[in-house]
Amino acid sequence: MVSWLLANPGRLYVVATLLPLAAAGLLLVGGCLRNLCRPYREDNGLARSVFFFLGGNRPLRAGAYFATGVMALSAVLGIYGLVKFLNDADSRSPIELEQRWAARTTWARVGISDAERPAVTLEVGYRVDHLTALMFAMVAFVSTWIFVFSLGYMADETEERHEDHEAHVTRPGRYGRFFLFLSLFCFSMLNLVIADNLFQVFISWELVGVCSFFLIGFYHERRSAALAANKAFIVNRVGDAGFLIGLALVWTYFGTFNFEEIRSALATSGPPMSHGLFVVAGIGIFLGCVGKSAQFPLHTWLPDAMEGPTPVSALIHAATMVAAGVYLVGRAFPMFSPEVRLVIAYTGTFTLFLAATIALVQTDIKRVLAYSTVSQLGFMMLALGVGGWVAGLLHLLTHAFFKALLFLGSGSVILGCHHEQDLMKMGGLRRRMPVTALTMLVGVLAIAGTPFFSGWYSKDLILSNAMGFGLAHPEHILLFVLPLVTAGMTAFYMFRLWFLAFAGAARADAAWHAHESPWVMTLPLVVLAILSVCVGWGWPPWEPDASYLGRLLERAQPGMVHGLVQPAHAAGWLALVAAAAGVGLAVLMYGTRQIDPAVVRAKAGALYGFLREKWYFDELYDALFVRPVVALAYATARFDKRAVPVEQADAADRTVNVSSLDGVLNALGLGTLSVGRSLRAAQSGFIRGYVTVLLLAAVALVGVLVVVYAGG
Amino acid sequence: MTELGLTPYLALGAFLFACGLLCIATKRNAVGILMGVELVLNAANVNFVACARYVPNFQLEGQVFALLVIVLAAGEAAVALAIILNFYNNHATVDVDKADELKG
Repeated sequence: MVSWLLANPGRLYVVATLLPLAAAGLLLVGGCLRNLCRPYREDNGLARSVFFFLGGNRPLRAGAYFATGVMALSAVLGIYGLVKFLNDADSRSPIELEQRWAARTTWARVGISDAERPAVTLEVGYRVDHLTALMFAMVAFVSTWIFVFSLGYMADETEERHEDHEAHVTRPGRYGRFFLFLSLFCFSMLNLVIADNLFQVFISWELVGVCSFFLIGFYHERRSAALAANKAFIVNRVGDAGFLIGLALVWTYFGTFNFEEIRSALATSGPPMSHGLFVVAGIGIFLGCVGKSAQFPLHTWLPDAMEGPTPVSALIHAATMVAAGVYLVGRAFPMFSPEVRLVIAYTGTFTLFLAATIALVQTDIKRVLAYSTVSQLGFMMLALGVGGWVAGLLHLLTHAFFKALLFLGSGSVILGCHHEQDLMKMGGLRRRMPVTALTMLVGVLAIAGTPFFSGWYSKDLILSNAMGFGLAHPEHILLFVLPLVTAGMTAFYMFRLWFLAFAGAARADAAWHAHESPWVMTLPLVVLAILSVCVGWGWPPWEPDASYLGRLLERAQPGMVHGLVQPAHAAGWLALVAAAAGVGLAVLMYGTRQIDPAVVRAKAGALYGFLREKWYFDELYDALFVRPVVALAYATARFDKRAVPVEQADAADRTVNVSSLDGVLNALGLGTLSVGRSLRAAQSGFIRGYVTVLLLAAVALVGVLVVVYAGG
Repeated sequence: MTELGLTPYLALGAFLFACGLLCIATKRNAVGILMGVELVLNAANVNFVACARYVPNFQLEGQVFALLVIVLAAGEAAVALAIILNFYNNHATVDVDKADELKG
């Protein structure tokens, strides 16, 4: 086994990817078995033993430990693979690397092969390069700590009868189910990362989507959670429609989905289609990324996704799901023409500004973080759009660590305050929850872009790329100005969050009675905090360009990226000034209280309401799309529905009325019925009847033949 | 003795076939119907053998098919007689018109 793996070390990644799937499968089988055995639990027999072995009516903790262990193993394999790959990359030739770290196999053949056109094949395969190796290690590692955190956070789901205080229902705990979905989620994301072709990415893409649906709707008894799950799923479908168009165009004109082949085809002979179609294909693929990575105009689902349990938010926002969009933009980068890149940059810029302004005034701790995620994803898109490939993906990696940390920290706060999420009802938590407060502070510093924290390296790179682009194309200077302002706002709203939650005095009972979380929840915080600081380091540490992680990413950079943009390093200082201004304002308003937030709010007037209601995007979409669709559905239902009481239903079923759908269907049904009834007489059961028919039919057939042939 | 040619054999086959079909269509006795079926099969056999004799390219096939039909007839008779016997055990008759209990 070991030699089989090491002969072709890329297989490590396949094993590490399939492990979470196996865990999910085993949990599923266990759950199904338990439910199958439940009716026989009173009998003495095998079924009873199986039922109680699998935990009986009480969710079994062992399943969750198992899933966590498997995920940890996957992370260990991922990190081992990363180390081994980095060794290999230094010592071996590209051809050897290709042999050892990539493999593909035919999955399905489409169409008939002939001399002119060979059959097109859909393939599955993996290809490990620096980007894949780093992403894989990050996803598996962060997910593992989220699993560990969930062991503690979801502990109340192990009760036999769990009471949901928001939906006012009592239901069985769902500990195992939660870990099943988490495992499936991680498998999908890992599969997406190792995929070497667009189609495999698309499959994983949809799997990620459906897992997010399950997990956001985990408390599906709550109406808000069910709606949020639907919203996330449907909004993502909009993006996926674009993705499918892109896929179709790529398939038609390139004849392959393989990233390497597309890349080399583009490098040698340029796009094989007209420029217009090439742009459409790029926009289509980007539209998929817009949906997944919650960019404007499809950003509305992400804040609502906060309805899921907090570890799910951490998973969606840090390691999986939203990372998928940015990752795909990075992977498919050669497929984007300059126009598409400009669209990407402007989408990112507008999104980062939009989300940051909303985050300024939110009071729900998770919502602030959600909008900060949207904003940071905008930064990544902007970087990719202006040609800062390394900057965008470096920010994706560093962001994953501190955003997971921040979300898990907020989970710890929420649990400590007995499911209170309103920042206005917190305060003074730093004394009651010292570990959470400290680690959260690290996360806040990292996201605000404090020097020597990981966020600084990546954000600095993004801004210098944006500034370089802005200087080279003065008409696009907005691509630098807005992010710069937003960097200040980021620092402001993150410190506002920290001060509101942890500083000052408690403002409500929940905060008074808060308590620090158990070690199983604080340990992930500490680990992630350490990494949030040092994951971006390089030598010398005061040089953002020297980030070791960035250097590694640079080696996976597609060749066409070179020379797209000349970074302007002055941006780093401007960003620092902006961040310092943001922090200073936050300290004045929420730390020392020299400026009263209420006064500022009063001065802002209508603007405050506008931001508070998230620029009224939900209302706009509601009026533009949701209401017309619902109205259409009602109209269709009216057309379909029979307007009669139940007791007359039988008579209504027999009414033939061509003007309504029901009437047409009734006519069809009644017609079939009467034909059947009249044909029934033919089946007499007497053999001589059948034989006579047979005989006559044969004679008639011969007669027809005679006539046809004699005539012809 | 002069060669008869194919036609009289085919006529015999057609006659046998008609007899068999008539037998199947008119008899109420299950054994009678079975006999009718045998007649039909043997009509086909006559045709096969005659063709084997007179049609070039059909010499081997005709004989093989004839043998096949004989085996088939034997098997069919065995199964049919078993069914009839069982039917008789249950109903004390072999009148096929009485076998109407499965009619919907």
